[in-house]
Amino acid sequence: MTWAGSIFDTAGSPAERIARLAWFLIIVSAVTYLLVLAATGIAMRRARVRRTQGELADTRPETGKRLTRNVAIATTLTTLILLVYVSATALTGKAIAWPLNAQQPLTIEVTGHQWWWQFRYRDSLPSNWLTTSNELHIPVGRPVRVILLSNDVIHSFWIPELHGKQDLIPGHRNTMWIKADRPGVWKARCAEFCGHQHAKMAFDVVAESPAQFAQWYVRQLASALPPTDSSAKHGYDVFVQRTCIMCHSINGTEAGSNVGPELTHIASRPSLAAGSLPNTRVNLTRWILNPQLIKPGVRMPPNALSPADMTALLDYLETLK
Amino acid sequence: MIDRGATRHIWPTHVAVQAAVTFLTLVAVGTACTGGSEDSANAKTLPRAASRGTAGNDTLVARNGIGAGKITIPGAEAEDGQWLRPAKDYASTRFSGLDQITTANAPQLKLAWSFSTGVLRGQEAAPLVVGGTMYVVTPYPNILYALDLSKPGGPAKWKYEPQPLAAAQGVACCDVVNRGAAFADGKIFYNTLDNQTIAVDATTGKEVWRTQLGDINHGETMTMAPLVVKGKVLVGNSGGELGIRGWLTALDVKTGKVAWRAYHGGPDSLVLIGPRFKPFYETDQGKDLGVTTWPPDKWKQGGAGAWGWISYDAALNLIYYGTANPGPWNPEQRPGDNKWSSTTFARDPDTGEAVWAYQVTPHDLHDYDGINESILLDLPWKGQTRRVLVRPERDGYVYVQDRTTGEVLAADTFGVVNSTSGVNLQTGRPVVNHEKEPQMGKVVREICPASPGTKDWQPSAFSPRTGLLYIPHQNLCMDVEPVEANYIAGTPYVGMNVKMYAGPGGHRGVFDAWDPIARRKVWSVTEDFPVWSGALVTAGDVVFYGTMDGWFKALDARSGALLWKAKLGSGIIGQPVTYRAPDGKQYVAILAGVGGWPGAIVSAGIDARDSSAALGFANAMRDLPNATTKGGTLYVFGLP
Amino acid sequence: MSAMSAGRYWGRIAAVAALALGLACKREERRFNATYPSAPAYASVTLDTLQPGVPSPELTVKSPAEGNAYDIAQGKLLFAQWNCTGCHSHGGGGMGPPLMDNEWIYGSSPENIVATIVEGRPNGMPSFRNRITANQLWQLAAYVRSMAGLEAKGPSPGRNDEMQYKVDEQRTPFRTPRASSSKTLPAKSQRP
Repeated sequence: MTWAGSIFDTAGSPAERIARLAWFLIIVSAVTYLLVLAATGIAMRRARVRRTQGELADTRPETGKRLTRNVAIATTLTTLILLVYVSATALTGKAIAWPLNAQQPLTIEVTGHQWWWQFRYRDSLPSNWLTTSNELHIPVGRPVRVILLSNDVIHSFWIPELHGKQDLIPGHRNTMWIKADRPGVWKARCAEFCGHQHAKMAFDVVAESPAQFAQWYVRQLASALPPTDSSAKHGYDVFVQRTCIMCHSINGTEAGSNVGPELTHIASRPSLAAGSLPNTRVNLTRWILNPQLIKPGVRMPPNALSPADMTALLDYLETLK
Repeated sequence: MIDRGATRHIWPTHVAVQAAVTFLTLVAVGTACTGGSEDSANAKTLPRAASRGTAGNDTLVARNGIGAGKITIPGAEAEDGQWLRPAKDYASTRFSGLDQITTANAPQLKLAWSFSTGVLRGQEAAPLVVGGTMYVVTPYPNILYALDLSKPGGPAKWKYEPQPLAAAQGVACCDVVNRGAAFADGKIFYNTLDNQTIAVDATTGKEVWRTQLGDINHGETMTMAPLVVKGKVLVGNSGGELGIRGWLTALDVKTGKVAWRAYHGGPDSLVLIGPRFKPFYETDQGKDLGVTTWPPDKWKQGGAGAWGWISYDAALNLIYYGTANPGPWNPEQRPGDNKWSSTTFARDPDTGEAVWAYQVTPHDLHDYDGINESILLDLPWKGQTRRVLVRPERDGYVYVQDRTTGEVLAADTFGVVNSTSGVNLQTGRPVVNHEKEPQMGKVVREICPASPGTKDWQPSAFSPRTGLLYIPHQNLCMDVEPVEANYIAGTPYVGMNVKMYAGPGGHRGVFDAWDPIARRKVWSVTEDFPVWSGALVTAGDVVFYGTMDGWFKALDARSGALLWKAKLGSGIIGQPVTYRAPDGKQYVAILAGVGGWPGAIVSAGIDARDSSAALGFANAMRDLPNATTKGGTLYVFGLP
Repeated sequence: MSAMSAGRYWGRIAAVAALALGLACKREERRFNATYPSAPAYASVTLDTLQPGVPSPELTVKSPAEGNAYDIAQGKLLFAQWNCTGCHSHGGGGMGPPLMDNEWIYGSSPENIVATIVEGRPNGMPSFRNRITANQLWQLAAYVRSMAGLEAKGPSPGRNDEMQYKVDEQRTPFRTPRASSSKTLPAKSQRP
C-alpha cells in the first residue's frame, strides 16, 4: 500500500489554508527553536567562561534583576507566540469549516464502516442516487458537501490534499465542504482509530473534469449486465449460491446486502480491500480465499472455493466494470 | 503526606477528596439507576391529536347518520340470503338485507352448531354460503371445508387439502392466515400460502385448476381473498417485509391462465400505465414514476403487494384496490416517493390498465400499507350526488374520494394521529410531521398511530339504512429505531426496531360508527384489545364484531348498545357473515381462533420479554395469553 | 507509603497481573484465522434421543466459540446483519419461534443449533448451507444460546447500543432447557 498523501500537495483552498498554517507553525517553531538553542548555547558558554575564570555564580543584585527581566521577556514572548499559534489555528479552522458558496452543491453521504467506506451521491431524482464503495470521484471546481455518518464506531474522513479531518460519529450527522481546484488522484484514509484494521481503511479519491465525472457517474449508475460466457455464468452462480450473497450487493442481480461493500463495478476500481491492495486478479484471489491473512480481523471470512469455482467467480467479477 | 506529628484532628486532604468523589459517584449512579428500567407495556401520556371523531355517546341515543336512506350502493342486488364473497357485494358493504334477527330479538341468539377446523392458527377468513353449503378456508395448511347446511349440525360434505409447501410458513410475516375464498362460475377460488391460486368445484370438491403465481424464495406469500370480476379471478401477493415485487394478477376463471398482471413498481409498462391513465393529483403524474421515485433498481425489492380488499363498480367498469407498504421499513434506504406503494388504484378489470391512482402515503415512514377496503357509495355531497369510495385508512384518516377521478373530497382522522397533521386537499399529499420521522441512530418515540395504523386489514361495514360506517380498529402508538436493512432474498428486509403500546386512554381497541357525510363519529365503543375482527351489519339494524379475547358481540346499529354477546373458545379475528339456511332461518357465522399479527403471541408462542418481538406488537399484547388460547372453530348462532 | 520491601511489592504486582491475564485471556481471545469444526463434524450429530436397541453414546462436538466473548459478540452482529432478527426478533420470535425461552424444538446444544442453521427446518427455517462459514456458524450458535441464558455471564454481550427492548444477554435468567428436547444440559462450567 502506497503512503502517498501529503498535506502540502494541496488541491483545494481549505488544504491551502491548512498548508499555510502548517508552514507558519513550522517556521515560527523552527526559528523559536533555533533561538532557544542559541540562547542555551550562549548560556552554557558563559557559564563555562565564568568557571574557567574562577568566578562563582554572579550574585550581584543588578545581575539578578537583569536575568529576571530576561526571563520575563522570554516568558512573555513565548506566551505571545503560543497565542499566535492558537489564533492562527482557530482562524484557519473557522475558515475551512465555512460552507462554500454553491447554488447546487454536489452532496455526498459518506458512511464509515469497520473497515471500509460507503459513498452515496444525492441527486434531485432518487433514481440517480449513486451508491459506491471505497472510491470517491468528484468534479473539479464544484463545491461538494460531504455528510458524514457512521455505521458502527467513530471514524474520521481525511483527504490530506483537500481538507482537514472530520469525524464520522454514530448517531450523529457531520457536514464538511470540499472542493478540488485541480484534477488529481489521491489516497485518503481514516484518521480516527476504529479497531483492528484502522490502518488499512483507505479510499481512492479521483478529482476529474466535470465532463469526465459525468461520464463516470453514468457508467456507475448502470446495473450489472448478466454474464454471457459460460465461465462467468458459473461464477455468477457461485456468487449467489454461496457466502458472497450474504454480504455483498450487485445492482441488477439478486444480491442486495449492505453488510460489505457493493460490488457492481468492482472491476473498475483501482484498489481492493479499502485501498489496501491494488486491484489485480491475483490480489482478488488472495483476498477472497483468506482476507484474514491480509487484514486480520476484517469481517469477511475465508472462503474455501475449489479452483474451478474460484476461476469462474473471478471471471464473473471481471465482467463487472 | 500526613504530618504524623500533628495533633489537630482535621480530615487529611486526600481522604476528604476521596470521600467527596465517592459520594458524588454514588449520587450519580443512583440517579442513573432510577431512570430507564426494563421495558414493560405502559400507556404513556401521549399527545392528543385533533380528531374530528370524538366518541361521544354515553347516553346511547339511537340516531342515524345524515345519509340514512339517501345513500345508494352501486350495483346493489336483491338479498338472496347467500354470502358469495367476503365483502358480500362488489361495493364491499358487508351489509345483509336479512332482517329476521333484529334489535328486539338479538338478545335471544344462541349457538346453533359449531365446527372445529383442526387448525390452531389465526382464523381471518369469512365463511361463504352458497345455496345450502358453507365453505370455510383455514390458515396454513389452507384446507377448504364444505359444510352441509341442510343437515342439522352442519356436517362436512368434503374437504380439499392443497398441501402447500411447509417452508412457506417461514416467509409469512404475520401468522399464516388466509382471508377467505370467493365463489363464482360453480367454483370456489382461494389462495394458498405458497402462492398458488386454486379453483375447486363447489359441488364435488375436486380441483379444477391451480396456478403457481409466486416464489417463496423471493419472500412472496398469498393470504388475501380473491375477487372474481367478469370472468377473471383477481389476486395479489404479500411480502412487503421481505422485499417482494408486489403485483395484482388476473386469472381466467375457467382455465386459471394469467390474463394480465400489474406490478406496483417499475416502468409504466409493468405497472400497466398507459394512455388512459389520468391521476387527479400532479404528484402522481409523470412517466415511469415507479422507477424514478426509487434509488436505482430498488423498486425490484420495493414491496407494495396487494394483500387486501378489492371493490368493483360495474357501471364504471373499474376495480378499486390499494397497495401495501414499500420495503424496507427503514425510509432512509429508499429516498423518493416510492411509487406505487401505499397507493389506491382504479383499473379496468378486462385489461388491468390503470385509469387513475392516488398515492395515499408517499415515502411511507411507518409501514402504513394502503390495502384497506374501499366501500363504494353514491352519496349526497355538498348539494350533488357524488360517486365516491370511502376508506378508513391505515394512516388514521377516513378518505372520501370521487371514484371516477380519484379526487379526495375529505380526509378526517378517526383516531389519535400525530405522524401527520392533515391531508392537503389541494396537493393530495399528507402533511408529514417531521418530528415523528424515523432517523438512523435515533429512537423516535410516541408515534401515533403505530405501524398497524388506526385500522389495519380488518374490514368495516356500511348500512344504507343507518347511513353509518362501522369501523373496527385499534388505538396504538409506538417507538421506533431504524437500522440498516440487508436484502437477502427469502429473508426479512425490514430495518426497523419497533415497540408498540396502547395509545392515549389505555384501551387498545375501538369500534366506531362513523357518519361519512357529517365526517365524524356517531357512537364509539372501546375495547381492551385491538378489535381485529371484521364488522357485519344487517337490515335488522344489528352490528356484529368479535374481540381478541373471544367475545362475539351484537350491537344496536343506531345507538351502539350491546344487545348480546357470547364467549367463544378463542379470540376472534375473522369476518362475521350472515345467511339464510335451507330451513329458512337467519344465522350468523364466525370463526374463532386468535392469531394474526397481534395474536402471534398466542398462536406462535412469542416471548414478550423481548418487546421488539412480532415487529413490536408483542409489547402491546403481553396480557393476551392470559385472556385467550389458540383455537380454530367455526361458530354458528341463530334465534331459538 | 508503607514500608514494604521491593521484592514483596513487585511480587504482588506480578501476581495480580498473572491473575488478570489468566482469567481474561481465553475469554477475550480473538482467533481471526483459526479453523473451527466444519460440516462433517456436526453433521453426524444425532438429533433424536429415541434410538432402537441400546442408544449409542452421544457424539458431541466441542464448540470453540463457547465462552469466548469475541465470538459471541460476532454472533450477535451476524444475527442482526443476516436478518435473523427479522424472523426471531431479538429472541422473542415473530415469523420464527422465540430463541430466548427454554423451548427448543431442534435442540439447544451448539451443534444442534449449527445443524439447524445449515439444514434449515421443515416449517420455515431457511437452510444456510454453503452460505455461512464454519467459524461464523459456531459464533451464531453461541450467541443464540446466550439469548436463552445458556452461556456464561462473563462472555455474554452487555448492554445494547440500540433501543432498549429487552434485558441484555448478560442478565438473561438462566433456564434449563427441557431434557426431552435437548441433547445435553449445559456443562456446569457454562452455568452462571
